[in-house]
Amino acid sequence: MKKVLIVDDAAFMRLTLKKILEKNGFEIAGEAENGDIGVKKYKELKPDVVTMDITMPIKDGVQALKEIRTFDPDARIVMISAVGQKPFIYEAVMSGAKSFIVKPFEEKHLVKVLTQVLEM
Amino acid sequence: MSDNYSNDPMLDMFIFETVQLIEQLEQSIIEIERSNCYTEDSINEIFRVMHTIKSSSAMMHYENISLIAHTIEDLFYFLREEKPKKIDCLKLTDIVLESADFIKHETDKIVEGRKSDGDGSELIRRIKNYLSRLKADNSKENAEKGKSPSKNEDTDSISEDSSNQINLSDFLQQNYKAVIYFEEGCQMENVRAFLVINNLKEIAEDISYVPEDIIDNDGSIEIIKNNGFWISFKSDRSYKEIHEFISHNVVFLKEFELYETKSDGHQQLSTDNQNRKDLQDKEKIEEPQFVSTRQSIISVNVHKLDKLMDLVGELVISEAMVLQNPDLNGLVLDNFLKSARQLHKITGELQDAVMSIRMVSLSATFQRMNRIVRDMSKKLGKDIRLELIGEETEVDKNIIDHISDPLMHLIRNSVDHGIENSEVRKAKNKPEFGTITLEAKNSGGDVLIIIKDDGRGLNKESILSKARRNGLIKKPEQELTDKEVYSFIMLAGFSTKEEVSEYSGRGVGMDVVTKNIGAIGGTVSIDSVEGEGTAITLKMPLTLAIIDSMTIKTGKSFFSVPIISIRESFKAEDGDIIIDSEGNEMIMIRGQCYTAVRLYELYGIKTEIKNISDGVMLMVENDGKAICIFADEIIGEQEVVIKALPGYIRNLKKIRGLSGCTLLGDGNISLILDVGDLITSLEEGRMKI
Repeated sequence: MKKVLIVDDAAFMRLTLKKILEKNGFEIAGEAENGDIGVKKYKELKPDVVTMDITMPIKDGVQALKEIRTFDPDARIVMISAVGQKPFIYEAVMSGAKSFIVKPFEEKHLVKVLTQVLEM
Repeated sequence: MSDNYSNDPMLDMFIFETVQLIEQLEQSIIEIERSNCYTEDSINEIFRVMHTIKSSSAMMHYENISLIAHTIEDLFYFLREEKPKKIDCLKLTDIVLESADFIKHETDKIVEGRKSDGDGSELIRRIKNYLSRLKADNSKENAEKGKSPSKNEDTDSISEDSSNQINLSDFLQQNYKAVIYFEEGCQMENVRAFLVINNLKEIAEDISYVPEDIIDNDGSIEIIKNNGFWISFKSDRSYKEIHEFISHNVVFLKEFELYETKSDGHQQLSTDNQNRKDLQDKEKIEEPQFVSTRQSIISVNVHKLDKLMDLVGELVISEAMVLQNPDLNGLVLDNFLKSARQLHKITGELQDAVMSIRMVSLSATFQRMNRIVRDMSKKLGKDIRLELIGEETEVDKNIIDHISDPLMHLIRNSVDHGIENSEVRKAKNKPEFGTITLEAKNSGGDVLIIIKDDGRGLNKESILSKARRNGLIKKPEQELTDKEVYSFIMLAGFSTKEEVSEYSGRGVGMDVVTKNIGAIGGTVSIDSVEGEGTAITLKMPLTLAIIDSMTIKTGKSFFSVPIISIRESFKAEDGDIIIDSEGNEMIMIRGQCYTAVRLYELYGIKTEIKNISDGVMLMVENDGKAICIFADEIIGEQEVVIKALPGYIRNLKKIRGLSGCTLLGDGNISLILDVGDLITSLEEGRMKI
């Protein structure tokens, strides 16, 4: 099973992601409520893929993405974004995000993105 | 939310988090208002809160909530990016609070199982108006300074000529061309296109594409959707490799076409470099400096805690059943007793631990009062500060639920009736702003909450005359202490304020406060100095689930009386009993006459002990009123775990004077007397069981 790390400051979002992913045969390696913890957990858990929220306290998702990419250039990170965050997604994409998905998303879309990113 | 994952825990989590966020938001707003400016941190925080609510509510398909949150988010996005100088703080605060109210109102509806159908369009219109005015002001200001206004995020307009901007000859000169179609519903096709370009750079160079303006123009989304995304590039990889690369690295790829051409010679389009520069500028945008103060906590459903508490209660009882087992009597059991002590210690600790889990700090309840004081003082044109002391004091969750309404009422009273207008205050040589202090502290097993204001205080004379008019005075007026006079305002139907204002005096008076606090075994007392202020003290137990009680026995039945309501116990003689004209029994103690109630008569219990001198009298009081209860004997003091009476008993008939039942250590069931209710029912007329 592929291990996923969920980074999101909203507990609701983490729960939603977790439910969908577990249902679709992913293993939740861990959860983090901000970018800072996300980076630490990435080092510790070495997940196959990360879902990364953008707007978070302490350290935002784009920043966390950049940091993770410094020590693991192959990291597979999917940004979870809201409508209207285009500039940040561009930045994330430039910094090596594998893909992104826009909230509110549909279950099948999320699963598809992660599956495809894992195949890359 | 689609049906697959819409179930209760999700909704609970959504509501829990949204309510928390809104509270956090209100808190920051109140602080902002105090310091009178929106700092970068606070703007960031509000932006983030609204952002989270927007996403979660959209996931849950509460579009009305999501829309409001989105609009506020847009507004704060603008504030954050543009940092306009002239902000109408007051207006802004009002708008944000109003939106918070809207969201709160809608979540309330959801909690109650109703449809969230509030229409926020009017509010949204106003927020948008505010934003556009802000934008207009800002660009004017920028223009005045000779600076061009920076780009806005608003890119709703679809540029008509975006597809015409490409230089076709450039496009045709590359050796590969591809047309990519994305799946429907993948959203932000333009960013996806950009992602493709970004990936493609690994294996290709001199990339150009149509539509060209995918970054700056959201209109490109429609074009990509309808016509596909056209790319032309140069690469030394084989057709097969590129084909594989695209099908592997493009997420949400619906279909694509790849053509190889042999031409060469091309021009680099400048778009790419420019984009990068744009993005680098934007990199500076979000440098979070805000440090979250949230604790690392988990949220647990209260029902689970109730269940845990119940189980611990059972454990305490079973422990007593084992340790006090009659079979053990007379045996020498050194080792058993040693282990038993250990068990007792651990169950005690467990009980404390479970109780402490249920303890919640009063801060959220207290903080809510900030909002009330703010709104009211603004409407009434008074300048009032609310000081909170000891808000970290913890009480049982159940108690919190019971006190927020009374607290709100008392605070409203203070703001409306207590604190004077600033002119009056000036005339009286008081500081122009009024102060209300809300203080909480522990005292023994109780929690005290004190609401104090420096307003006009209570007028003893007007209370007395009103009490006289309503026939509330039961003893000579000169014997009344100040406290007794003030306590008249807590009686039902008493209100010295004749007119009704928006905030208080709607017929719901202090008596409701007394009743609510009384319901959780608490008391209310009032101190006041006319012209200087009033202090109202609420005294409440720390927890509801376990109470200290005295167990008494009548016939074969056990009753537990909360220690808090017992004044004294004594032996009486048959001769002490007086019978009044209606045939009710009274007893005279130290010159005071009290109603005497025989428990066995009241509840129809068979007992041998009917002579007053054979049994025992317990004087119990509630709300300053006392009666004497006659029982066979006192068993002893013990902590009991309150259980509700089973539903079939409660539904069958309303039994007065009982608040629940409990299990005693020896396995017997004991009924818990509700002294307040017992006294009221006696006053309403001798009750018949």
